[in-house]
Amino acid sequence: MKDLVRQKLSIHVDVMDLLNKQIEKEAHSSSAYLAMASWCDHNALSYSADFFYEQAAEEREHMMKIFRYITDNGGTAFSPEVGGVNHDFKSLEEIFETALDQEIAITKSIHNLVGKCRKVNDYTTEYFLHWFIQEQMEEEQTMRRALELFDLMGTDGLGLKLLDERIPQIRDKRPE
Amino acid sequence: MKVLHQSQFFISYQCDKQRCFFIEFPHKTIKLGFCQLLAFRQQVKEIDLEAHFNGQNNHGMEMLMLCNRQHFFVFNTLECIDLKEFVTGTFAMLELNSLLATSV
Ligand SMILES: [Fe+2]
Ligand SMILES: [Fe+2]
Repeated sequence: MKDLVRQKLSIHVDVMDLLNKQIEKEAHSSSAYLAMASWCDHNALSYSADFFYEQAAEEREHMMKIFRYITDNGGTAFSPEVGGVNHDFKSLEEIFETALDQEIAITKSIHNLVGKCRKVNDYTTEYFLHWFIQEQMEEEQTMRRALELFDLMGTDGLGLKLLDERIPQIRDKRPE
Repeated sequence: MKVLHQSQFFISYQCDKQRCFFIEFPHKTIKLGFCQLLAFRQQVKEIDLEAHFNGQNNHGMEMLMLCNRQHFFVFNTLECIDLKEFVTGTFAMLELNSLLATSV
Protein backbone atom coordinates (compact mmCIF):
# COMPACT_ATOMS: atom_id res chain seq x y z
CA MET A 1 0.00 0.00 0.00
CA LYS A 2 1.29 3.45 -0.91
CA ASP A 3 2.09 5.95 1.83
CA LEU A 4 -0.46 8.47 0.57
CA VAL A 5 -0.31 10.50 3.77
CA ARG A 6 3.40 11.07 3.37
CA GLN A 7 2.90 12.01 -0.28
CA LYS A 8 0.55 14.78 0.75
CA LEU A 9 1.85 15.85 4.13
CA SER A 10 5.40 16.47 5.34
CA ILE A 11 4.32 16.95 8.94
CA HIS A 12 3.26 14.19 11.32
CA VAL A 13 -0.51 14.38 11.86
CA ASP A 14 -0.26 14.61 15.67
CA VAL A 15 2.38 17.34 15.34
CA MET A 16 0.03 19.20 13.02
CA ASP A 17 -2.63 19.12 15.74
CA LEU A 18 -0.19 20.60 18.23
CA LEU A 19 0.86 23.25 15.71
CA ASN A 20 -2.78 24.23 15.35
CA LYS A 21 -3.00 24.51 19.14
CA GLN A 22 0.10 26.68 19.02
CA ILE A 23 -1.63 28.94 16.49
CA GLU A 24 -4.40 29.45 19.05
CA LYS A 25 -1.86 30.27 21.73
CA GLU A 26 -0.02 32.82 19.59
CA ALA A 27 -3.35 34.41 18.66
CA HIS A 28 -4.30 34.57 22.31
CA SER A 29 -0.93 36.15 23.17
CA SER A 30 -1.47 38.73 20.48
CA SER A 31 -4.88 39.66 21.88
CA ALA A 32 -3.58 39.68 25.44
CA TYR A 33 -0.83 42.13 24.48
CA LEU A 34 -3.35 44.30 22.72
CA ALA A 35 -5.39 44.48 25.93
CA MET A 36 -2.25 45.45 27.80
CA ALA A 37 -1.51 48.15 25.24
CA SER A 38 -5.00 49.53 25.73
CA TRP A 39 -4.55 49.66 29.52
CA CYS A 40 -1.21 51.45 29.13
CA ASP A 41 -2.72 53.97 26.74
CA HIS A 42 -5.54 54.71 29.17
CA ASN A 43 -3.05 55.23 31.94
CA ALA A 44 -0.90 57.63 29.92
CA LEU A 45 2.01 55.21 29.69
CA SER A 46 2.61 55.71 26.01
CA TYR A 47 6.02 54.03 25.71
CA SER A 48 4.71 50.87 27.32
CA ALA A 49 1.62 51.08 25.13
CA ASP A 50 3.80 51.19 22.01
CA PHE A 51 5.82 48.30 23.33
CA PHE A 52 2.72 46.15 23.71
CA TYR A 53 1.27 47.18 20.34
CA GLU A 54 4.47 45.94 18.82
CA GLN A 55 4.36 42.74 20.86
CA ALA A 56 0.81 42.13 19.66
CA ALA A 57 1.93 42.51 16.05
CA GLU A 58 4.86 40.15 16.63
CA GLU A 59 2.64 37.46 18.11
CA ARG A 60 0.43 37.65 15.08
CA GLU A 61 3.51 37.17 12.91
CA HIS A 62 4.42 34.09 14.92
CA MET A 63 0.92 32.80 14.39
CA MET A 64 1.14 33.39 10.64
CA LYS A 65 4.53 31.70 10.45
CA ILE A 66 3.04 28.51 11.88
CA PHE A 67 -0.11 28.88 9.82
CA ARG A 68 1.87 29.09 6.59
CA TYR A 69 4.16 26.27 7.65
CA ILE A 70 1.18 23.94 8.04
CA THR A 71 -0.48 24.87 4.75
CA ASP A 72 2.81 24.93 2.79
CA ASN A 73 3.45 21.37 3.88
CA GLY A 74 0.09 19.96 2.90
CA GLY A 75 -1.69 20.26 6.22
CA THR A 76 -4.84 22.07 7.22
CA ALA A 77 -4.42 25.15 9.39
CA PHE A 78 -7.41 26.37 11.37
CA SER A 79 -8.14 30.02 11.96
CA PRO A 80 -8.16 30.42 15.74
CA GLU A 81 -10.93 31.64 17.97
CA VAL A 82 -9.76 33.86 20.76
CA GLY A 83 -11.63 34.14 24.02
CA GLY A 84 -11.08 35.11 27.60
CA VAL A 85 -8.86 38.13 27.12
CA ASN A 86 -8.19 39.92 30.39
CA HIS A 87 -8.37 43.71 30.40
CA ASP A 88 -8.12 44.33 34.14
CA PHE A 89 -4.78 45.09 35.68
CA LYS A 90 -3.89 46.88 38.84
CA SER A 91 -0.46 48.15 37.82
CA LEU A 92 2.12 48.27 35.06
CA GLU A 93 4.26 45.92 37.10
CA GLU A 94 1.46 43.37 37.14
CA ILE A 95 1.20 43.70 33.38
CA PHE A 96 4.87 42.90 32.82
CA GLU A 97 4.69 40.04 35.27
CA THR A 98 1.70 38.64 33.40
CA ALA A 99 3.60 39.11 30.14
CA LEU A 100 6.56 37.14 31.49
CA ASP A 101 4.29 34.35 32.71
CA GLN A 102 2.64 34.25 29.31
CA GLU A 103 5.99 33.99 27.53
CA ILE A 104 7.12 31.21 29.87
CA ALA A 105 3.92 29.29 29.13
CA ILE A 106 4.57 29.70 25.39
CA THR A 107 8.16 28.52 25.80
CA LYS A 108 6.94 25.39 27.57
CA SER A 109 4.43 24.78 24.84
CA ILE A 110 7.11 25.09 22.12
CA HIS A 111 9.41 22.75 24.03
CA ASN A 112 6.58 20.27 24.37
CA LEU A 113 6.08 20.45 20.61
CA VAL A 114 9.76 19.77 19.98
CA GLY A 115 9.54 16.80 22.35
CA LYS A 116 6.65 15.44 20.31
CA CYS A 117 8.56 15.95 17.05
CA ARG A 118 11.43 13.88 18.41
CA LYS A 119 9.10 11.14 19.58
CA VAL A 120 7.56 10.73 16.12
CA ASN A 121 10.74 11.55 14.14
CA ASP A 122 9.33 14.70 12.58
CA TYR A 123 12.71 16.36 12.07
CA THR A 124 11.36 18.83 9.55
CA THR A 125 9.09 20.45 12.11
CA GLU A 126 11.74 20.24 14.79
CA TYR A 127 14.04 22.24 12.53
CA PHE A 128 11.25 24.73 11.84
CA LEU A 129 10.72 25.19 15.59
CA HIS A 130 14.34 26.08 16.28
CA TRP A 131 13.57 29.67 15.34
CA PHE A 132 10.81 29.72 17.98
CA ILE A 133 13.09 28.36 20.69
CA GLN A 134 15.51 31.22 20.10
CA GLU A 135 12.66 33.72 19.90
CA GLN A 136 11.18 32.55 23.20
CA MET A 137 14.53 32.86 24.92
CA GLU A 138 14.76 36.47 23.77
CA GLU A 139 11.15 37.25 24.71
CA GLU A 140 11.65 35.98 28.24
CA GLN A 141 14.81 38.05 28.56
CA THR A 142 12.97 41.16 27.39
CA MET A 143 10.18 40.76 29.95
CA ARG A 144 12.72 40.06 32.70
CA ARG A 145 14.55 43.26 31.83
CA ALA A 146 11.29 45.14 32.27
CA LEU A 147 10.73 43.62 35.70
CA GLU A 148 14.30 44.51 36.69
CA LEU A 149 13.42 48.14 36.02
CA PHE A 150 10.71 47.89 38.68
CA ASP A 151 13.27 46.51 41.12
CA LEU A 152 15.71 49.30 40.35
CA MET A 153 13.39 52.26 40.05
CA GLY A 154 10.46 53.25 42.18
CA THR A 155 7.02 53.76 40.74
CA ASP A 156 5.94 56.54 43.11
CA GLY A 157 5.05 59.89 41.64
CA LEU A 158 7.28 60.65 38.68
CA GLY A 159 9.02 57.29 39.00
CA LEU A 160 6.44 55.47 36.93
CA LYS A 161 6.74 58.05 34.12
CA LEU A 162 10.51 57.71 34.09
CA LEU A 163 10.23 53.97 34.08
CA ASP A 164 7.81 54.11 31.17
CA GLU A 165 10.36 56.13 29.21
CA ARG A 166 12.93 53.38 29.70
CA ILE A 167 10.66 50.67 28.25
CA PRO A 168 11.80 51.05 24.61
CA GLN A 169 15.31 50.13 25.74
CA ILE A 170 14.38 46.72 27.09
CA ARG A 171 14.18 45.28 23.61
CA ASP A 172 17.37 43.56 22.74
CA LYS A 173 19.29 44.62 19.72
CA ARG A 174 18.93 41.53 17.65
CA PRO A 175 21.46 40.71 14.98
CA GLU A 176 19.97 40.46 11.44
CA MET B 1 -8.75 -0.69 -2.76
CA LYS B 2 -7.51 -1.73 0.63
CA VAL B 3 -9.45 -1.61 3.87
CA LEU B 4 -7.80 0.65 6.40
CA HIS B 5 -10.13 0.24 9.30
CA GLN B 6 -13.57 -1.08 10.05
CA SER B 7 -15.67 -0.06 13.03
CA GLN B 8 -19.20 -1.07 13.94
CA PHE B 9 -20.85 1.26 11.40
CA PHE B 10 -18.09 2.56 9.13
CA ILE B 11 -15.29 1.33 6.88
CA SER B 12 -12.37 3.31 5.46
CA TYR B 13 -10.42 2.38 2.36
CA GLN B 14 -7.36 3.64 0.59
CA CYS B 15 -7.17 3.58 -3.16
CA ASP B 16 -3.58 3.66 -4.40
CA LYS B 17 -4.56 4.04 -8.03
CA GLN B 18 -6.66 7.17 -7.54
CA ARG B 19 -4.53 8.33 -4.65
CA CYS B 20 -7.55 8.92 -2.47
CA PHE B 21 -9.68 7.49 0.31
CA PHE B 22 -13.19 6.15 0.57
CA ILE B 23 -15.46 5.99 3.56
CA GLU B 24 -18.37 3.62 3.60
CA PHE B 25 -21.26 4.95 5.65
CA PRO B 26 -24.33 2.74 6.26
CA HIS B 27 -26.23 4.25 3.33
CA LYS B 28 -23.54 5.66 1.05
CA THR B 29 -19.87 5.62 0.22
CA ILE B 30 -17.97 8.82 -0.38
CA LYS B 31 -14.61 9.59 -1.94
CA LEU B 32 -12.19 11.90 -0.14
CA GLY B 33 -8.90 13.52 -1.03
CA PHE B 34 -6.34 13.71 1.73
CA CYS B 35 -7.26 17.28 2.69
CA GLN B 36 -10.90 16.25 2.90
CA LEU B 37 -9.96 13.32 5.08
CA LEU B 38 -8.12 15.74 7.38
CA ALA B 39 -11.16 18.00 7.47
CA PHE B 40 -13.39 15.03 8.28
CA ARG B 41 -11.03 14.03 11.08
CA GLN B 42 -11.15 17.54 12.53
CA GLN B 43 -14.95 17.66 12.47
CA VAL B 44 -15.19 14.33 14.24
CA LYS B 45 -12.62 15.42 16.82
CA GLU B 46 -14.70 18.50 17.54
CA ILE B 47 -17.80 16.47 18.37
CA ASP B 48 -18.46 17.00 22.06
CA LEU B 49 -19.66 13.62 23.27
CA GLU B 50 -20.12 14.86 26.80
CA ALA B 51 -22.83 17.22 25.56
CA HIS B 52 -24.82 14.15 24.54
CA PHE B 53 -24.97 12.99 28.13
CA ASN B 54 -25.22 16.13 30.23
CA GLY B 55 -28.31 17.46 28.50
CA GLN B 56 -26.62 20.22 26.50
CA ASN B 57 -27.26 18.31 23.30
CA ASN B 58 -30.67 16.90 24.18
CA HIS B 59 -31.64 15.60 20.74
CA GLY B 60 -28.37 13.60 20.67
CA MET B 61 -27.66 14.37 17.02
CA GLU B 62 -24.61 15.68 15.22
CA MET B 63 -24.61 17.07 11.72
CA LEU B 64 -21.50 16.91 9.59
CA MET B 65 -20.95 18.37 6.17
CA LEU B 66 -18.13 16.83 4.23
CA CYS B 67 -16.11 17.53 1.09
CA ASN B 68 -16.97 21.20 0.60
CA ARG B 69 -20.58 20.62 1.61
CA GLN B 70 -21.15 17.97 -1.03
CA HIS B 71 -22.33 15.48 1.55
CA PHE B 72 -24.50 15.93 4.58
CA PHE B 73 -24.69 13.44 7.44
CA VAL B 74 -26.66 13.16 10.64
CA PHE B 75 -25.32 10.89 13.34
CA ASN B 76 -26.88 9.77 16.60
CA THR B 77 -25.00 9.32 19.86
CA LEU B 78 -24.05 5.69 19.25
CA GLU B 79 -22.77 6.51 15.79
CA CYS B 80 -20.79 9.45 17.15
CA ILE B 81 -19.03 7.26 19.68
CA ASP B 82 -18.24 4.80 16.92
CA LEU B 83 -17.16 7.62 14.61
CA LYS B 84 -14.50 8.78 17.04
CA GLU B 85 -13.10 5.28 17.36
CA PHE B 86 -13.29 4.92 13.59
CA VAL B 87 -11.27 8.06 12.87
CA THR B 88 -8.64 7.18 15.48
CA GLY B 89 -8.39 3.66 14.07
CA THR B 90 -8.13 4.86 10.47
CA PHE B 91 -5.33 7.29 11.26
CA ALA B 92 -3.55 4.70 13.37
CA MET B 93 -3.53 2.39 10.36
CA LEU B 94 -2.24 5.19 8.14
CA GLU B 95 0.56 5.84 10.59
CA LEU B 96 1.39 2.17 10.76
CA ASN B 97 1.55 2.13 6.98
CA SER B 98 3.92 5.12 7.02
CA LEU B 99 6.15 3.35 9.52
CA LEU B 100 6.26 0.24 7.34
CA ALA B 101 7.00 2.34 4.26
CA THR B 102 9.95 4.09 5.93
CA SER B 103 11.41 0.94 7.45
CA VAL B 104 11.62 -0.86 4.09
FE1 LIG C 1 5.05 34.18 20.10
FE1 LIG D 1 6.08 36.25 22.58
